[in-house]
Amino acid sequence: MLDDDTLARLLSRALRFGGDYADVFCERRNALSYRLQEGRIHESGLSLTQGVGIRVIVGESAGYAYSDDLSLESLLRAADAASLIARNAPARKQGAIAIVPAKVAPLYDQHRDGHAPAAHYADLLSRADVAARAFDPRVASVNAHVTDEIQDVRIAGSDGRVVGDRRPLITLGVQVVGVAGAERGSGYAADGGRTSINYFDEHDPEKIAREAARIAMVNVEAVPAPAGEMEMVVGAGSGGVLLHEAVGHGLESDFNRRGVSLYSGRVGQRVASELVTILDDGNLPGERGSCSVDDEGVAGAHKVLVENGVLRGYMQDRLNARLMGVAPTGSGRRQSFRVMPQPRMCNTYMPGGESTFEEIVASTKRGIYAKGFGGGQVEISKGDFVFMVAEGYLIEDGRITAPIKNATIVGNGPEAMTKVTAVGNDARLASRHYTCGKGGQYVPVGVGMPTVKIAAITVGGTGD
Amino acid sequence: MTEAEALQTARDAVAIALDAGATSADASVGVGRRFSVEARDTTVTKLEQSTGKSLQVRVFVDGRKTTFATADFEPAAMRAALARAVAQAAHVESDPLARLPDESADDVPDLGLYDAALAERAEEAGADDVLAMERALRATDARVDNSGGSHYGSAVSVVALANSNGFAGSYVTTRGSRSTGPVATDGPHKRTAHYGTAARSLAELESNEDVARTAARRAVEMFGARKPQTARLPVIFERDVAAAVLSDVFSAISAANVAVGNSWLVDRIGERIGSDLVTIVDDGRLAGLLGSSPFDSEGVATRRTPVFERGVLRSFLFDSYFARRLGAATTGNAAGGGIGPNSFYLEAGTGSLPELIAKTSRGVLVLDTIGFATEHASGTYSRGARGFAIENGELAYPIEEFTIAASLPDMLAGIDAIAADLRFDGSVVSPSFRVAEMTVSGG
Repeated sequence: MLDDDTLARLLSRALRFGGDYADVFCERRNALSYRLQEGRIHESGLSLTQGVGIRVIVGESAGYAYSDDLSLESLLRAADAASLIARNAPARKQGAIAIVPAKVAPLYDQHRDGHAPAAHYADLLSRADVAARAFDPRVASVNAHVTDEIQDVRIAGSDGRVVGDRRPLITLGVQVVGVAGAERGSGYAADGGRTSINYFDEHDPEKIAREAARIAMVNVEAVPAPAGEMEMVVGAGSGGVLLHEAVGHGLESDFNRRGVSLYSGRVGQRVASELVTILDDGNLPGERGSCSVDDEGVAGAHKVLVENGVLRGYMQDRLNARLMGVAPTGSGRRQSFRVMPQPRMCNTYMPGGESTFEEIVASTKRGIYAKGFGGGQVEISKGDFVFMVAEGYLIEDGRITAPIKNATIVGNGPEAMTKVTAVGNDARLASRHYTCGKGGQYVPVGVGMPTVKIAAITVGGTGD
Repeated sequence: MTEAEALQTARDAVAIALDAGATSADASVGVGRRFSVEARDTTVTKLEQSTGKSLQVRVFVDGRKTTFATADFEPAAMRAALARAVAQAAHVESDPLARLPDESADDVPDLGLYDAALAERAEEAGADDVLAMERALRATDARVDNSGGSHYGSAVSVVALANSNGFAGSYVTTRGSRSTGPVATDGPHKRTAHYGTAARSLAELESNEDVARTAARRAVEMFGARKPQTARLPVIFERDVAAAVLSDVFSAISAANVAVGNSWLVDRIGERIGSDLVTIVDDGRLAGLLGSSPFDSEGVATRRTPVFERGVLRSFLFDSYFARRLGAATTGNAAGGGIGPNSFYLEAGTGSLPELIAKTSRGVLVLDTIGFATEHASGTYSRGARGFAIENGELAYPIEEFTIAASLPDMLAGIDAIAADLRFDGSVVSPSFRVAEMTVSGG
C-alpha cells in the first residue's frame, strides 16, 4: 500500500491539467482456493495481485489508468495517462494536497492477516463430498470448491481524505449431477460471505452439499416447464434475484443520469404495487455485498429505493452524484484496480409483508412456484428482464405438484411490480453466493425476498 | 516489457518453481497494452490507457497440482510465492494423470494475428471514431436522441509460455473493437440497442458509420413491438444470437464438463445428434482470426478438430488432462486453466438471411436474447428474446417479452436451413440458421 506522500504526489500529478476530482485506489488481493472432483482434492490455487488505479473526473468525463508495477516511475506514468482527459478543461491551479486519514467503522475483522491451515479447507470439501454422495444413490458426480480471499484497499481522494479497508470473502460451493436412466439433472448450492472459515463451524458443509444434491434430484425427476402466461409464486430468499433484475439495475445512477433507464426522472412517482418496498444496504454484517467503505471510500449506507410502491432514490457513485447534485450513497464499486468504479447494488432485498406461504400457494389456481433462482438479466430502457429458475414446481388448484425443468421467466420490471398481489411474512436473505455482472465487471452481491405472488408472468418452458 | 523479456520471465518462473521443489511446471506471461475511449454526443466521456501484466504458473509435485497467479515479477517475490504454492500442493491428492502435456508445439507459425496499423494507431483517431459513431447514430434516425455511449478499444497482447519439458514460445496479437449503444425515444417510449465489431486488424473492423447505422436501426425497429401468442413455430436465429447457441453447444462439448457428467452429450460419440446440415468445427489455425493462436495455454499446437460432421458427433474438445482422463488425445483447447474454444463455428450454408426469412411462411426471427438458462446436464434451453414475427415470408411486426425454448439436442436435430453469412468476429461464431420448431412463449 502506498504511503501518504506518494498518494499526495500522484493526486497532484493526476490533476496537472485540472479536473474536478481525482482518486487513487490501491488494492492488494490474496486468494486461496481448493477444488474437489471425483472424491479427491484435485487442485489448489494461490493468487496474489496488487496494483493502483488512478482516476481524474472532469464534468461528466473520466480519465483512468492503472499500474501493477508499484515503482514511482510507473505510478506517475499512470497519473499522466489519467490526467489527459482534462487536457482541454479550463486551467485550474492545483495546490498541495494534505492527506488526512479518516476512520471507518469496520464491518468485519480488520486484523486477520492470513488464511487458515490448508487441511481445514480440504476437510470442508471432503465432508461436502461424502454428504452429497450419501444423499441419494442417483448422485453421479460431485464437484466442490472453496475460495478464501482477503482484499486490502486504500483509497485517497483529491480532498485529501484517505481510508483503508480489509475485506474478507469466503465461498464454499457444491455442484451435483444426478443421473437416473436417460434423465440428468444438476443442482448447485453455496454459502459463505464476508467472514472467515469459522463460518462453517456453524453452517455445516454437509448442509450445503445436501441442498445441492436435493436440487439435482428434483431436476432429475422434473417434467418440462409449461409455456405461456400464468401466476407465479416467487420463493423466499433467492427470489431477490427478481428485485435485483426487475428494478435494482434500473435504479443505478449512471443509467438515470444519462436518461437511459425507464426510471429516469421518476423519483417520487409510483412505480410498483403499494405492497412493494425495496431496500439496498451495504452494512449488513457478513453479506457479500457489504463493505465498510465502498471502492470510492464512501461508507456503506442503508438506502430506501422504493417505499410502498413509490420511487425514493437511486444508488449513487461519486461521479454521478456530483452531476445530479446529491450525495454519494456508498454504491461506487469495482471489480479491481484495473477498472473504474460504477454505481452498483450491495445487498438488495424486500422486507416482509403479512401473508403466510400457505395462503399464497393456496390462492394460486394455475402457476409455478419458483423456489430457487439461478441468475438473471435486464434490459434497462424498457425494463424487460429474465431470470432462471434453478428449482421450480407446478402449482395446480392451490397445491404444489410436479417439479419442472429449468426454465427462463420473462417479464417487464415495472409491470411485474404492479402485479404483486401478496407479500409473505417470511422475508430472508438468500444464501451467500451471488455475483452481479455489469459492463464486464463482476462484484459480489446479496439478495433477499419474502415469498411474493405475481399475478401474471411469462414462463418459457416447452410443456403444456 | 518486450516479447523476449516476457519469455525470459516465464523461463525464470519455471526454474524458480523447480528450485522450490516442483517436479514439473509451466509458466505463462501475459503483457497487455490496452486503450479505450468512450463518447456520448459531442463529449469524450472516458479515456483509459494502461499496460498490465500477469504471470500464471502451474506447479506439479508428483501429481499434485497448484496454480499460482501474480502480477509481481520481482524475483524475490516470485521465489517466496512459488515456495508457498509448492507447499500448498501437499494438500492436493496425487493424481497420476496430472502433469504437463506429453506433446508440445514444434514451431510457432506466424498466423497473422498482429496488425501494426491497429497497434500504432494514435489515440486521437480512436477519439475521432467514437465521436463519429455518436454523430452517425443521430443522423440515422431522428428518434435516436441519446446513447449509453460509443466505444473504441484496442489491445496489444504478448503471450509467452515456457515449461520444464523444454518448450518455450511466444507470440503477439492485436485486437480492436468498435461498439455503440443508442437510445431512441418515441413519445413516452424508450428503446436501446447495442451493436459492435471486433477484429485483429483495423482494416477488418466495420466502419463507424456501419456500426452506428446497424445499432440505430435495431433500436428504432422495436417501437410498437407486441408480445406474441404462445405457439410452436420455426425460429430463425440471426448470426449473433446463433453464435450464443453455439456457445451452449461448446459447453456440452468441453471435456471438463463431459468428464463430470455435466453434459447432455456424455457417451454419445458417433451418434447422429444434429441434422445433416450441422457441421461444427474447432480450428485454431485460421489466419488472422480472433480465435486463432499458434499454441494453447499449455503449449500444445492448436489444430482443426471436426466436432460434428453432418450431424454426427465426432469429438469432444480436450486439454491434456481431460484427454488422459477420457482416453483421448488433446485437441489443443487448453485455455487459462480450463478448456476454451479456438474458432468454434457452424459451417456456413447458402443464401442470405433475407432469403432465409423469405423461405419461412410463418415463424419468428430472433435478433437478441437475454438470460443464460442452459442446463448442460440435460440440455434444456430457454431464453428471453426479441425480434420479429414472420408472416408469409416477410417481417410482419416486432415482438418482445417472450421466451424461446427447446432442448439443445432437439434444436441441433431441427436445424433445417443455414445461411451463408458466417463471419469470424469472435471465437464462437455462427451463420444465421433456422430451427424447424421451438416453443415460443408469450401471452
